[in-house]
Amino acid sequence: MSFGRYLPIGRITTEEIAKAHGQDPAAIHVGLGVEEKTVPAEGEDSFTMAFEAAKQATSLASDVAGIQPCDISAVYVGSESHPYAVKPTSGMVAAALQVHPFCFCADLQFACKAGTAGVQIVDAFIRSGQVRYGLAIGSDTAQGRPGDALEYTAAAGAAAVILGSSEERHALCRIDQTLSFTTDIPDFWRAQGEQFPVHAGRFTGEPGYFAHMRETIKRILDVSNSAMADFSHVILHMPNAKFPSRIAKECGISKEQLQHGFIVPRIGNTYAACSLLGLTYVLEHAKKHQRILLVSYGSGAGCDAFTMTMLRDGQPLPVDHRIPAYMDYGAYLRRVTASAH
Amino acid sequence: MERGTISAVTTVRHPPAGFPDEPRIIGLITLDGGSSVIGRIAGISPRIGDRVVPRMSMERVNEQKLRAYDVVYEVAAPAALQEDPFVFEGYILALTGPSGVGKSTVSKVLSSALSGIVTRVPILTTREPKDGDDGEYLYVTREEFIRLEDAGALAASTRIPSVSEDRRYGYRTEDICKIWNEGRVPLVVTEMHLLQGLARSFGRRSILSCGLLPPGTSRRAMLSQLLHRLRTRGRDSEQSIADRVRNASSDLDFFSHRKELFDHLLVNDDIDAVIATLKGHVLRTQEDTR
Amino acid sequence: MRLSRIGYTTQEAMNADVFLVGSGQTRFGEWWDKSLPALIEEAVSAAITDAGITALDIDAIVIGNMIGQQISGQGQLGAMTSALLPHRPPALRVEAACASGSVAVHTACALLESKRAETVLVVGAEKMTDAENTAIASALMGAGDSERDAPAGLTFPGIFGLIASRYMHDYGLTREELSLVSSRHHEHAKANPYAQFRSSVSPESVSSSAPVADPLRLLDCSPISDGAAAIILSRTRKSPLRLAASQLATDALSLAERPTITSFAATRDAFCRACEEAEIDRKEIAHLELHDCFSIAALINLEDMQFADPGQGIGIYRDGLQEMSVNLSGGLKGCGHPVGATGVKQIRDLAKQLKASKQRFGAAHNFGGAGATCCVHILEHACEP
Repeated sequence: MSFGRYLPIGRITTEEIAKAHGQDPAAIHVGLGVEEKTVPAEGEDSFTMAFEAAKQATSLASDVAGIQPCDISAVYVGSESHPYAVKPTSGMVAAALQVHPFCFCADLQFACKAGTAGVQIVDAFIRSGQVRYGLAIGSDTAQGRPGDALEYTAAAGAAAVILGSSEERHALCRIDQTLSFTTDIPDFWRAQGEQFPVHAGRFTGEPGYFAHMRETIKRILDVSNSAMADFSHVILHMPNAKFPSRIAKECGISKEQLQHGFIVPRIGNTYAACSLLGLTYVLEHAKKHQRILLVSYGSGAGCDAFTMTMLRDGQPLPVDHRIPAYMDYGAYLRRVTASAH
Repeated sequence: MERGTISAVTTVRHPPAGFPDEPRIIGLITLDGGSSVIGRIAGISPRIGDRVVPRMSMERVNEQKLRAYDVVYEVAAPAALQEDPFVFEGYILALTGPSGVGKSTVSKVLSSALSGIVTRVPILTTREPKDGDDGEYLYVTREEFIRLEDAGALAASTRIPSVSEDRRYGYRTEDICKIWNEGRVPLVVTEMHLLQGLARSFGRRSILSCGLLPPGTSRRAMLSQLLHRLRTRGRDSEQSIADRVRNASSDLDFFSHRKELFDHLLVNDDIDAVIATLKGHVLRTQEDTR
Repeated sequence: MRLSRIGYTTQEAMNADVFLVGSGQTRFGEWWDKSLPALIEEAVSAAITDAGITALDIDAIVIGNMIGQQISGQGQLGAMTSALLPHRPPALRVEAACASGSVAVHTACALLESKRAETVLVVGAEKMTDAENTAIASALMGAGDSERDAPAGLTFPGIFGLIASRYMHDYGLTREELSLVSSRHHEHAKANPYAQFRSSVSPESVSSSAPVADPLRLLDCSPISDGAAAIILSRTRKSPLRLAASQLATDALSLAERPTITSFAATRDAFCRACEEAEIDRKEIAHLELHDCFSIAALINLEDMQFADPGQGIGIYRDGLQEMSVNLSGGLKGCGHPVGATGVKQIRDLAKQLKASKQRFGAAHNFGGAGATCCVHILEHACEP
């Protein structure tokens, strides 16, 4: 029914990080394809960003479809950087937005696919008739260990979607099908109490991202009786610019199909928000009847896939007039360590 | 959470216990709905009249690690200068570029070519006078500089720390206003921090901002050109040159990252062409602001 | 904009004569070796001696104090002060932030007017130097609104920083002009042996002192001080000094709840009603001791008492005022501001000033928080026939 997003204004360039570690930025560009990434401000965490994204979504929902926050009775927040190990972000968002007091809420974790997992859950609540409107949010302030390759891509951001019945008058986009593919592999993990995650190098590629994306894409096309060319827009999880480009080539996804949702080069990998963020950009530009394919990936591992159809033309979000604030590595490091739990 | 306007603003230098130990900007904000609220303001140099936007923020964490979230107010758009009782009507011509690009030469030639319109604004500096300085600087002691800064007399100021010396530079607001009162256009030869400071003090729209780039199509070529020029002008020690080239590198980044601070970018390989272009811009702006 | 109070009846005069029979105080300052009880005892002794009475003549005690409980861990200041006197008269503590002292005087008047007591000892005392600055700052924020002001990290100077920023915006007051206020108060304090600071402070020093809550600087703010003051009021013992008026007014705690922050409704109300009660016109006041917790407060209070037009208060500091002295004692800035003591000390200062000048009326204006509580007293000195 509606959507919203929030990105911090802080930015740091690949150049700046490379300079600090004495690495060659050109090589990083070639390897990862990320130019710059978002950095959360001192008072920002996964809750504040989830709230801001959800606020934008409820604002839009109110303007366009007359949906008020008190009509929402499900809130699911996916993140790998929830502010608390025990105290739900979803509860805080529900209270801050003033949704219906009798509301289904829980926090989710499945690495980068926690946000889309939330979409599937809310989708099921609506199909079963238990909820009229529900909110699914992906939000992360992920960080990489200083000096680790993840430092160039781990970014912060949040995206929110409000779901309701596709029969409703103002429905924007219909979820036609969704499925998930799940295995158990150790490609990327963070133990309890650890500040930074660990990744298994090249293992995160083929047995990780590629195998799962390939399997899931094949299956969703099968189950939805579609060919890749049927989709005007394709959004894939973007841990960097290279992985999605490679799987795209393999599966016959064109640059044009990826275009609107391919946000990683200027934003970085926002983890649980990543593919949902890409979706928010697509939803602004897509036209009525166009079909969308979204496939997200979470380490550990699994993929969520969705096929969608636009029910009306896309809705632009209010322009963010804030000027991005570029920082040097020293300032960046202070932010990262300050935000440490 | 409503938008609002700043009614009063203060910077609390010593926040109470439980808050981060750094200056905190707090305002009385009149919300659009009519009520007022006291809240922290996020933004640089907020002023009475600025519009603000509410933003959720994690403000503090208590001893038991419980997070306190509160609404802070971000400056959305600075107040229109027309509302400021001390508003001036005029603009500043700013030439920005890395050290060694030829700003001083360009500014000297331009101010004689446009001697009826343009007056150079003296730069206050705490560094020692050097051979080759030709009246563009006003030398002050470090104490005097700090005193002026604290008293709010400087429209913009910056500090360039380096291995060899710790230099401060700035412009006095009164110098600029005096030139406006004479009906002339102040000309500043400046660098990125001072330019940002001027944009903040007078508003971006009050600056006709021209960036000067060294010749050379690639960044490497530009930097080596600068290096060559700094060496041939003979004014600086090797250490100081190394510092300047380092600063120059980030100056070049500045052009691409802060495009919004520049109206025109010019490559300084032919001084006559540059002067002619700048003259054109100034004369056109004079026409527009008449 | 002057708001008028709708629907209140004209204030009647006091229904008993309340005479000021004696007063005493400690010097205000940093008294590392004196505890709160010690300061109280010193002021009380001095007052009793000055009144020429004995301790047993006191029927009741009212003491004004703000942060004794938090900083010294001492509540029950009424009982504690009472125990200083051999017969332990009835006693109570009142609190109204920086107006605690004058509210104590106001309470004493009520006890006298109602005939519950004949002679009342009023004490104001504060011990502030025994804790580190952040603890003091937090304690003083009790004067603000804990739900509206404190959560944002506002401090007490911050409240007045907001007021000063708006005032300067509305009226064009400059930094140089504002510095005249503290400079003048220090000038006056030089002649006051009980003042914390007794040397000159130039306006330039004020302008260049460290910023505390921009635009306010360190020397715009009254200091942290220890001290106590005591006065003895009686309805049966006569004296040439008499309280002609005692009025208390309150206002919303938070600036966010007020229609304007460059004017204090509580000052307007209390002063207006005090003049009515004393049946005088403001022009008859020869000496004014007003509450200058911050330099900007002095200007606004003068305007609210209508000694200057809005935005013109600085004229009094720039050009001086022939007809009336303002803060001749040095005010809070020059004398120091042990919070609870100030309201009581102001009455004592007026008594001294009136005796010396042989003028008839003096007014003491004391307020708490950002004018959330304001108490004004008018002291009348019977002139020789």
